[in-house]
Parts: sequence; structure tokens; C-alpha cells
Amino acid sequence: MEGIKLMNKKITNRINVFLFLLPALVLFLVILIIPIGLSGYYSLQEWNGIGAMKFVGIENYKKVFSDSVGLGPAIRNSIILAILSTFVQLPVSLGLALLLGKGIKGERIFLSVFFMPVLISTVVIGQLWLKIYYPEQGMLSVLLSGFKIGGKSIEDGIVSWINNMNAKLPIPKPPYKNVPWLGNQYTALACCFIPILWQYVGYHMLLLYAGVKSVPPELREAAKIDGATDGQINKYIVIPQIKPIIKICVIFAVTGSLKSFDLIYVLVAKPKVADVPSTVMYNEMFSANNYGTGSAIAVMLIVLCFVFAMIISAIFKKED
Amino acid sequence: MDTNESINKISTVGKIVIYVVLGIWTIVNLFPIYWMFTFSLKGNDEIFGDNMMGLPRHWLWKNYASAMGTGNMPLYFLNSTIVAVATIAIVLIAALMATFAITRLVWKGREMMNRFFMLGLTIPIHSSLLPVFLILKKLKMLNSYQSLFIPYAAFSLAMGILICSGFMGDIPKDLDEAATIDGCGTWKTFFLIIVPLMKPAVSTVGIYTFLQCWNELMFANTFISTGKYRTLPVGIQALSGQHTTDWGPIGAALVIATFPTLLVYIFLSKRIQDSFIAGAVKG
Amino acid sequence: MKMKKFASVLLAGAMVATMAGCTSDDTTTTTTTDTNTNTTTTTTDTNTTTTDGEKTNLTMWCIATESDSNRHSYEAAIADVTAAHPEINFTWEAFENESYKTKIKAAVAADEMPDIFFTWSCAFLGDFVDAGRVYCLDDAYAKVKDELPESMMGNSTYNGKHYGVPLTMNIVGLFANMDLLKSVGYDDIPGTYEDFIACCDALKAADIIPFGCAGKETWCVTEYLESVIEKSVGYEALNDIFLARASWANDDVAAAVDTFQSLVVNGYFDPNGDGLSNDEIKANFMAGKYAFYMNGTWNCADFAANEEFFPKVKVGEFPVINADKATLGQLIGGPSDTLAVAASSPNAAVAADFTFELGRLICKYGYLDGCGLPAWAVNYDDSEVNGLTKTVAAITAKANGYVLFGDTAMAADDADAYLKEVAMVYGCEVDGKTFVEDLAAAIR
Repeated sequence: MEGIKLMNKKITNRINVFLFLLPALVLFLVILIIPIGLSGYYSLQEWNGIGAMKFVGIENYKKVFSDSVGLGPAIRNSIILAILSTFVQLPVSLGLALLLGKGIKGERIFLSVFFMPVLISTVVIGQLWLKIYYPEQGMLSVLLSGFKIGGKSIEDGIVSWINNMNAKLPIPKPPYKNVPWLGNQYTALACCFIPILWQYVGYHMLLLYAGVKSVPPELREAAKIDGATDGQINKYIVIPQIKPIIKICVIFAVTGSLKSFDLIYVLVAKPKVADVPSTVMYNEMFSANNYGTGSAIAVMLIVLCFVFAMIISAIFKKED
Repeated sequence: MDTNESINKISTVGKIVIYVVLGIWTIVNLFPIYWMFTFSLKGNDEIFGDNMMGLPRHWLWKNYASAMGTGNMPLYFLNSTIVAVATIAIVLIAALMATFAITRLVWKGREMMNRFFMLGLTIPIHSSLLPVFLILKKLKMLNSYQSLFIPYAAFSLAMGILICSGFMGDIPKDLDEAATIDGCGTWKTFFLIIVPLMKPAVSTVGIYTFLQCWNELMFANTFISTGKYRTLPVGIQALSGQHTTDWGPIGAALVIATFPTLLVYIFLSKRIQDSFIAGAVKG
Repeated sequence: MKMKKFASVLLAGAMVATMAGCTSDDTTTTTTTDTNTNTTTTTTDTNTTTTDGEKTNLTMWCIATESDSNRHSYEAAIADVTAAHPEINFTWEAFENESYKTKIKAAVAADEMPDIFFTWSCAFLGDFVDAGRVYCLDDAYAKVKDELPESMMGNSTYNGKHYGVPLTMNIVGLFANMDLLKSVGYDDIPGTYEDFIACCDALKAADIIPFGCAGKETWCVTEYLESVIEKSVGYEALNDIFLARASWANDDVAAAVDTFQSLVVNGYFDPNGDGLSNDEIKANFMAGKYAFYMNGTWNCADFAANEEFFPKVKVGEFPVINADKATLGQLIGGPSDTLAVAASSPNAAVAADFTFELGRLICKYGYLDGCGLPAWAVNYDDSEVNGLTKTVAAITAKANGYVLFGDTAMAADDADAYLKEVAMVYGCEVDGKTFVEDLAAAIR
């Protein structure tokens, strides 16, 4: 009797597991897993995306690192972004979340305002930053030409730095008088990163704030009575409590950085100036009609993101 | 006494510093909204000319008329809303259920399943355009709301599960056990005990999902070919021409698309924030 | 990258036109056609295939969005054609230019096209034709041959078969701000290259930037570069290279690229333009920041619509650099905007006739609006066309050779390599010699 009951329970449990997973699994298989399979298949073909395919084996994977496609520098750029995102964007977000989560006057207003950039369409953010980076009359140029160090404005400093770099070109390029922020390979990448990092501070902050708020107030109170400072409370009580959420933020920031596309595409339309894997992939697939090569980049990007996500999970598990 | 006073002084100075920092950050974050609004009232000459940031010299309210008069913006807005609501509902249901199976039910392979779902975070959306298009064609789903909300839901699901497991993992296990002792089955435990405790996760997942689908352009443009199901981003994009683009009406359309969401967010934010605090039932 | 570049060597006026097809394996045909001003307005009978009593459904996708300058010509043409064909139930949808490229490629790949679709001629349409997804228009074309010269069909002709209905055509124009030119003593656009360079030097000395060019969008650089190459080596040589009939390894081309680069090195281009888009550069030109702006003649309608700017602007042809090889009248351009019919359409034959009729009217209204030059014979009163477009029409009337634009003529992957290399020339990273060597290696 007991045995049958246990068996029944086991079976019910299995059925339950299956039923609970069913909606997510169906969505995953149909929309995500089958396309990954197809991308894998396309990546082994020479294909323009429309006509007949020709099997070429791993040729596409070799090709992506050539100079003409240039995935190598693109991956490097996106890893830089991932690092900045983890070590600059997230600490800022965490700082804001801790500050607001502690309960200060106007907490809710600040929270709402800081989240707003996330709600604004990338088109608007892109256009705004295009104006900020407009050479000469743009906000950044005006601001930086106003600040002077030793009689030389910061913008002039950057101009002469770029002109020095350009002097090494095979053909003497006429010197710049102003910085075309998005039009040269020395500043374009950094200029793309700033709005990307800025826009999503609010999102991470909100996630972390939700975590901070779910730390039981009694813990905080108790620590305060013991004479702990705010810093100590944050370090020893709050942060350990919200570790699962920090992990989510790190994974989101890193995979998001590796896949970043929209803003860079709006700000720097031209290849080679500020490439990231997604822009290279998009260019290969839809501009150069090298669908096979593009798919190879997609597969590599999936592997890269997955490996990073696993590493991050492992690091957080180890710390526990 | 002296030391106390000095501590107070430091904290007053500290407070000022904090508020100055928060104030600057507030301006930085409000600026795009101000800018978007002024942008929507300018013509190309001011947008591209010497008045990129200032108030419009000529307040072109007609930009709003031409944005509203183009295509069928109210319909596009409605379509976007329908798609967003459906996507959020599906993501929440599927993510909460899957997370429950992964974090609360005991079975072999739950770790593997968790990792499998993480795969969803890794997929670059552009590479799935053609495959998903082919799948939707096979399913005879092109040109419908579901041709958008099903892919959107699938793409937001991984993050949804990740966030939900972050919050669900924090709910003490004895709650389920107590529920089981009280005679609650798995389903009852899920709906009556776990789901109500997941309010903060529901808010964050909802917001995330909304952001993913509200501005999505590529799928919406490719999978929908009839004006009937067109969404806002596609409608707004149709405001730019092949060789000439009048940016003012685009700004106006973007304001029309963004301000309602900002307003809804402001109205909801108290409830959203409350939900975070409501989640503080653990220990 | 905006597509507005075209293949085909064509001849306006009543002369011999050499027609160059778009696919590389295509044989070159020579036809003699009169661009006759035909006064008969033929209404092709499309009624034959209609199933009795039931309406035939036709759907069209295009890029004439509501704010596109071509919108009015589409609306007017569609109103006319649907009124003439009550038996056809016609619906159409317009999509934004850039995202439409992705959409139509996906739709062709999945064989989910509408009956009629907008496309760019040459390589873009060529991929679809190669995949067997496009309906051959030879039968329908035979009915309208009188109004549409064979030379205008060249860009959508593959292996001798016609697959596209051309709408308007455009060339690259040298637009000049005459106020600025006058301020340095030029009453007209300089006619010789020496004069032109002297004019640029005079402008530079007066602190006026000669050229505005959007470095961010490489197709804008090609508007300058290709004109320089064409006027140095002649249109035949450049055409052969673009259509992959000759190698890039050509010393004359290398020298021409160096000539172009010398314009950059001499500082004739706005250095701030490196980070700007074409919209921004165009706005600067209209605001009087640049003396010259080389871009497609589709800009005529915009310039003409601006009351303040219109009196200042003139359009002309880029001067000849090497008179031994090139002459005036060798232009860059041709019909690119095209309508095609899906092979999968259940009513393809009806759609074909309908498309020609529609194309003829879109061309007419587009020309009258100043959006481009007519690919079809002009058999209506065009005296109301704006002055700039008329000047361009006069230039094309004297044309003796056209070169397709590189990025439309070449297959997509070749065009990608080409644009990347052009960007490097403009950025002073490679010289003419390296340019041709790299491309000779990349494009075979």
C-alpha cells in the first residue's frame, strides 16, 4: 500500500513537473531552440539568404575572423562593454538602490525619475545623443571647449591627440579642428558606450531596489541598535541578502553587452568604426547577404553568452 | 556633546552632498524627456541647425497633427497595447510556473533545466528573424497578434525565469511544507501561497517584458504586412521617407508613444514600489 | 546605405543605347530604340483573366510611406489605375526604406511575397530572380514597348528576360550654392576641372567649405568618388569593372582614386562631416555651410520646395578630368526604383499588366512632382516641373553614357567589400593602389 502510494506520488510529481514546465518549454522549443538549430545549419552553408545553399563545412567560422568581416575586434569591444557594465554601471545602480532603499526623503520620486530613461525609445535616446555628439555645436564639444587646463581646452587636447594618431596614417589626413565624436575610430566606441551604460542604470537600480526593500527591516534595526554604520549595514546585511538579484543583474548586463546593437547602430552606421558582434552579424546577414557567415557569428555569440552566463553563475555559487 | 555635534555636522554635509548628487542625476535623467518634447515641436532647420537643444523658436504644434494624421496612430497604439498585455501575461504565467518547477519541486535534472532556460538569454534577435518567420509561416500565424506576442514572450521568458527564481528562491521552504501539511496540493500551494508572494517579481518581470516588446521594430515590421495589426514602432518609422525625413512629426509621434507609458508608469509606480515592499515577507 | 544606384548604360535622346544587364553572366545586348514621344495613352486590357463576376485580388508592398516624397505620385497613380480597373481589388502597404530591405528579403526567402512588390534593380532584384521567385514580364512588356524604351529596362533584365517595371530614374548631380560661389567670383558652376579646383581653392581661402559629405554613410562618399573615377577613366571602363567584366586591378582607376583622395587631403571636405549623416549634411548645405553638395537628383524636389534656398541653388555635371578618356554627358545613374511581380502570385499575368500601367503613372506623377526623371516616355505636359529637375532633364537629354552605381550594381557581398574600401580611402587609410589591389583580391 505504502509503496503504491509512494509510486503514485512520484508519478503525480512527475506529471506536475511536466505540466508546470509545459508552457515555457513549448515557447522555448518553437521560437528559440528550432531557430538556433536552423542557424547552426545555415552556418555551415554558403547562402545569400534567398537562393540555393552550398555546404561549405566550417569555412564560415574561419571567415568570420578575417579582416573583411572582423569579428575579433568586435568581440573585444563587446567584452570591454561587458566589463564597464559590470564594474561601472552596476556599482552606480547598486549605490543608488542602497541609498534610496535605506529610505530618504523623496525616495519614490527619485526612483521614478531614475527609471524614466529606460522607458524612452532607443530612437529618441539615439537622436538625443547624436545631437550631444554633434561636432562643434553639440553639447559635448561646447562643454569640453569651455573647460581649460593650462590655457588649452579639453576638446583641443582631444583634437590634437586624434590628429597625432591620424598623422600615422599612410596618407596625410587634413587635421581636425573639432572632434567628430562618432566619426573616428578613437572616440566613437567610447561615445557609444556612455549612453548604453547610462540608459540602463535605472533598470538595474529598480531590480536591486526591489531586493533591498525585501531585506527584513528588523535586521536593519537590530544592526543599527548594535551601532553599525550605514556602510556596515549595507556590506554585511543588505548586499549578502540581495546576492541572487546581483547575480541576475550581472548576467543581464554581460549578456546584454555582448548582444548590444540598437544604439550603436543608430549612432555609428558605418562598419569598422565601432563594431560589436551584433552589428557585424547584421551587416553580414542583411547588407552583404552572407547569411551563412552571419549565422556562424550568431552561433558563436550564443556560445559566448552562454559560457559567460555559466561562469557568472559558478562564481556566485562558489561565493555561497 | 562635541563629538555628537560634529557627527551631526558631518551627516548634514553628507546629506547635502547626497542630495546634490541625486539632484544632478535627476536632471540628467529628466533631460531626455524635456528634449524629446522640444524636438517634437521643431522643424528640420532647428533640429539640424543651431538650435538642437534649446526651446523651439517656432512652436510647430502642427507636427502633432501630421503625426496623428499619418496612418492610423490610435489603432497602432491599441495594437501595441494588445500585444504588450498578451506578452506580459504569457511571460508571467509561463515564467512563474517554470520557476516553481525548477525551484520548489524536487526532481532530477532541475539544474540542467535551469541552464537550458538560460540559453534564452544568449540568442541575438536578428539571427532568429528568418527562422522564426519560417516557423510562423508553417504555423499559419503570420499577420496576426500572436505572430508578435508569441515570439516576444519567448524572448522575454529567460529573463523572466531568472528574475522569478531570484525572488522565489528567497521564499522559505517551510511555507510549502506547512501548506502541504494543511492539505494543499502542489497546484494550490503554487496559486495560493507562492504566487501572492511574488509581487515584486511580477512587477519587475512585467516592466522588463513591456520594455522588450513596446519598442520592438524588426519582428513587427517583418511579420505583419497588413495595416490592421501594425504596431506603434512600425507606424512611427513609416514617418521617415526614403530620401527625405521630416523629423518633427517623428518626434511628435515618439512623444505620443512614450508619454502615455511614462504617465502609466508614474501612476503605477507607487503600486509597483509597494509591491517591492510587500515582498519583504521572509526571514 | 541608401539604394539609389543603378546599372545600365543608357541613352536618352534619340540615339543608340548600349544596354548592360545586371547579372555577371549576362550577355550584353545592343538595341536601337527611339525614345519617342508617344501621344497615345494605351490602356492595357487586363480583364481577360478575371474570373467571371469575381474580383481579382492584388496586393502590393512599397516604400512610399506617407512622408516619402513619392507618396503623392503613388496615391495619384493608384487612384487612376483602380478607377480604370473596377474588376481588380487592389490593396497596398508602405514600409520604411531600411527595414523594408530586411522585410522583403525574408519574405522572398520564405516565398511569402505579395503579388506586386517594390524592389531596387540590378543586384537586389537579381538575387530574387536567381531564386526563381520573380515573374517574367516579357509578355506584358511587349504591350507597352512603345512607351518604355528597352534601354530603361536594362537594369531589371537578366539573361535577356525582363523582370521589373522601372519607375523614375535619378542621376548624381553637382549641386552648388550660387551665393557662395558668387562671393568668390564665380557666376556659374566651373565647367573644367582646373577651374573647378581653382574655385575650390578660392572658396577655401575665403573660409568656405567646398564640399559637404556624410562620412557616416559611405554611399554618400561614393557619389563623389564614382563621379571622379568616371570622369577620369570613362564610363565604359568603370562599367566593366562594376559589372565584373573587368578586374579592379587597373592603374587608371588607381590614379583616379588618388585624384579623389587629393580632394580630401587638400581639405575640401568638411572634416566635421566624418561623423554626420546625410540628413545633417543636407541641412548644412541648405543652411549655406557648403558650396557644393554631390548627391542624387531626387533632392531637386526638396530644394525646390524650400522658398528661401531654391533661388540660390544650381545643379550641374561634374567636370571632365581626363578628356582623352571621358566626356561630358557621361553620368552616374539610371532607373533603380522598380516594381516586380511575384512568381507565386495566383494572378501573376493580371498583376504584370496592372504593374506596367501603375508604373507608367507613378513615373508620370513622380516626374511632375520633381522626385526624379521619367523612365517612361513623356506624353503629357511637363511645363510645371521645377527648374532644377528640368535642368537635370536637359543634362540627361545630352547624355551619352551611364554608369551604374557600385553598391547597386554589384552583388551584395562585393558591394559590402567595395563600401568598406571606399570608407578607407576617404579616411586616408589606403591609397588608390591599395584600393584597387584589395578589391581585385576581394572581388573575383
